[in-house]
Amino acid sequence: MGGILDYAPGTTVVHRLNPIVKIVFAFCTCVAAFLTESLPALCALLALDVAAGCAGGIPQRTLRLLSGLVKVSVFLFVLQVLFIRSGTPVFFFVTDAGVHTAFLVVLRLIVATMPLALMLALTPMSDLSNALVKVARLPYHYAFAFTTALRFIPVFTGEMRQIMEAQTARGVEFDTGNPLRKVSLILPLCIPMLVSSVGRVQQSALAAETRGFYLRDRASGYRDYPFGALDAAALALTAAVVAFGVVL
Amino acid sequence: MIAFEDVTFSYEGSQYKALDGVSLRVESGDFLGIIGPSGAGKSTLAYAAMGAIPHSLHGDFYGSVRVDGRDTFETDLTELARVVGAVFQDIDAQMVATVVEDEVAFGLENFGAPREAGEARIAEVLAQVGIADLRHREIASLSGGQKQKVALAAVLALRPRALVLDEPTGELDPQSSRQVFELLRALNEQGTTIVVIEQKIMLLGEFARHLAVMDGGRLSFYGETRSILARALDLKGVGVNVPRVTTFSLGLRAAGVGPGRLCVDVDEAEALVKEAIA
Repeated sequence: MGGILDYAPGTTVVHRLNPIVKIVFAFCTCVAAFLTESLPALCALLALDVAAGCAGGIPQRTLRLLSGLVKVSVFLFVLQVLFIRSGTPVFFFVTDAGVHTAFLVVLRLIVATMPLALMLALTPMSDLSNALVKVARLPYHYAFAFTTALRFIPVFTGEMRQIMEAQTARGVEFDTGNPLRKVSLILPLCIPMLVSSVGRVQQSALAAETRGFYLRDRASGYRDYPFGALDAAALALTAAVVAFGVVL
Repeated sequence: MIAFEDVTFSYEGSQYKALDGVSLRVESGDFLGIIGPSGAGKSTLAYAAMGAIPHSLHGDFYGSVRVDGRDTFETDLTELARVVGAVFQDIDAQMVATVVEDEVAFGLENFGAPREAGEARIAEVLAQVGIADLRHREIASLSGGQKQKVALAAVLALRPRALVLDEPTGELDPQSSRQVFELLRALNEQGTTIVVIEQKIMLLGEFARHLAVMDGGRLSFYGETRSILARALDLKGVGVNVPRVTTFSLGLRAAGVGPGRLCVDVDEAEALVKEAIA
């Protein structure tokens, strides 16, 4: 429910794109973010990210993601401003070069993270892994490990919640205001968590094996992932984004 | 179909015998219910029946398990999977896909079912389990009971000749539990051998042809369902209750009221009471 990386079902243009195209687009946007040195270019890429999220029919989640990243960025921004000493001071110890670099770093972080998160939110996990196996020829074992890891996140979150509830029922006060105390209460829970996760992963492997996991190869999947005109257009846009990053 | 011969097993790093000298033959076409208290070795028995022991779960293994005449030691899990389908207790852990359709397709794709036949089989098996409307849903968004049905559908898709189920109704309400058992009965009538671990004795009493009662790794009682249920006191000794209607009918018999028949479900009890009154 509502997790920032959970798949958001839909039939928008972005949903209909070939998963590989989405991966390439997300990856190339990251690359472009690291290639460019210009703040306006980064802002334009950010606008593109947000537009992609809106085109995928999840504007609210896109903004939530953005505001989450902005919160993390504030911390990063302050650190950068404090530690960059070159340039002319504009305000106490803050220099103009410091502010410029800090903006650059923070924007890069946001611009590079968003497309990956959006790609995961707008592509079903199984399509992602199947397409990687069929089109990009990734060995199935790796794709399976990757999707299983992501699939287990909510399972383990639920389990952690259960363990915490069980402890709360026995009088442990997880709602303490002191973050250090909270951490010291939660840390010991990692042991039962780890023990049960190893068991569950083993069960998962067993279940896969009894349904012919070792027989699976590239040709096994029923679904095909053909490239259409829409995908060609998206790839053209991707190329333009990279060129944009190189030029500016 | 599945034959245990003096099987003793203890898990790696443990002295405790999870199975202790179990001998049991499950004939082809049988409907066997397994019941017993927690830690009795029921799940271990299921693991041994489908080959997870010794291939995936290791430990000290004595005796032999034969599935369709082949020793599970000498046959790999993939081969065994062509004969025995298994549904385990931990439903979340046995999902391999994120969408219901892909989950059911997984085994079909792997075993090389042709695409069109496979697609048809997915639709057929989803309808059979009663979740055709969930085909395109995300598994993470389903309830425990729905997931249980998905797990069952995914295994049924491969048309196994025998099914081993470890508490398939654990997360289901009484009505859905009945539906699952009715489905198992239908499969059984078509020739599938069923081995089901179940805590709801009422369901076993009604649907299972044979009952095996486990306790402390041993097979305490085994026999035709009614003859096992008739031993209500013995069962109580190992912590297994019989259905209330059975207790009731045994009480009537002990008091010398009515024809002295044993009942396993409400309809039978109703008939018995009517006869007793008449």
